[in-house]
Amino acid sequence: MTDWLGMSVPPRTPRPDLKGRVLARALARRRRWPLALAAALVVVAGGVGSAWWAYGRIDALGAERDRLAARVAALEDTVSSFIHDPATRLIQVPVSTGGRVGTVTIFADSARHRWLVRCDGLAPNARDQAYQLWFVTDKGMQPAALMAMDRDQPMVMGLPLPQAGERVMGAAMSIEPRAGSTSPSGPLVFHLDL
Amino acid sequence: MVRRLKARHEHALQELYDALAPWVLGLAYRILHDEDAAEEVVGDVFVKVWRHVHKHDPSRGPLVPWILSIARNRALDELRRRQRWWRKADRWGRAQGAGAGEEVATPGPHEAAVPGWPLHREVHAALATLPDDLRRVVTLAYFEGLSHSQIARRLQQPLGTVKTRLRAAHHKLADQLAHLKDWLE
Repeated sequence: MTDWLGMSVPPRTPRPDLKGRVLARALARRRRWPLALAAALVVVAGGVGSAWWAYGRIDALGAERDRLAARVAALEDTVSSFIHDPATRLIQVPVSTGGRVGTVTIFADSARHRWLVRCDGLAPNARDQAYQLWFVTDKGMQPAALMAMDRDQPMVMGLPLPQAGERVMGAAMSIEPRAGSTSPSGPLVFHLDL
Repeated sequence: MVRRLKARHEHALQELYDALAPWVLGLAYRILHDEDAAEEVVGDVFVKVWRHVHKHDPSRGPLVPWILSIARNRALDELRRRQRWWRKADRWGRAQGAGAGEEVATPGPHEAAVPGWPLHREVHAALATLPDDLRRVVTLAYFEGLSHSQIARRLQQPLGTVKTRLRAAHHKLADQLAHLKDWLE
């Protein structure tokens, strides 16, 4: 029966402002419900929208992946036929750049008049320089390709040979200004006679 | 009142505050002896009642004692927290011991206008008619939240004596207060 003992204490008149504060505290939680509900709806809507966007994005990326895979397969076929063609001659040139030893590999296809060149282990260029590959022809050095190497990674490129009338007798590589040169002006990386 | 509270009628909460806030504040102040802390307890109590009124089971007792028990527990929690933090248990003990007779003092006549006053007078009278030794243990247990062994140490009485006195006091109070009902409609 001690439940009633609290009533044995004389009452105290609360300060007038206490009622407003107490009721505000008690009812605040209830009035937050609409806001919480709205927030929850926004979150759900956002989640659905994100899921829809992600689904569409995944779909697009899947299509892009398939397209790139088909392109890579075609390139593999091309490179494979290029490399294994009896008319293809393989030339490997060891080079030294920036104190590093690398390799320039040339697949020279005399049937299609194309070269496939792969450069491995070349030191990255200074910011204002680039590697330039040259065809050595009976009419002099002809620009073949300009390769600005900012990162340490292999580089592969396909090069059509000069027009008929110019006989390619070799290849060379030099370090040139970033925009390239019409004739070699910088240090030679290699010079090769075929 | 309970039905309207459970139906989330805000006006019912206002009515409940008007009817019970003076009693909750009085009880909290009796335990804490601090007006600001007692008002904090009042706020906590009505927030808790509003949020948990659906848990009140009328078959297990009226609404007012349920709310008073919430107020008492909250005030005792605050009291213990203060005692731990301030390490003033001895001063509190002396203050409570000196004021042990105040809870049965006759209140001023102006307070009779407060809702629930007749019920207060009955409970007050029932407590006042207890012999001093019984009233003392009830007061220490209810208003200070002391355990049986703590009361025994405080009064320097055997534990068995304390238990016997508490049991006797509860029987007497139960006899005198069994007819009480809420005055809330």
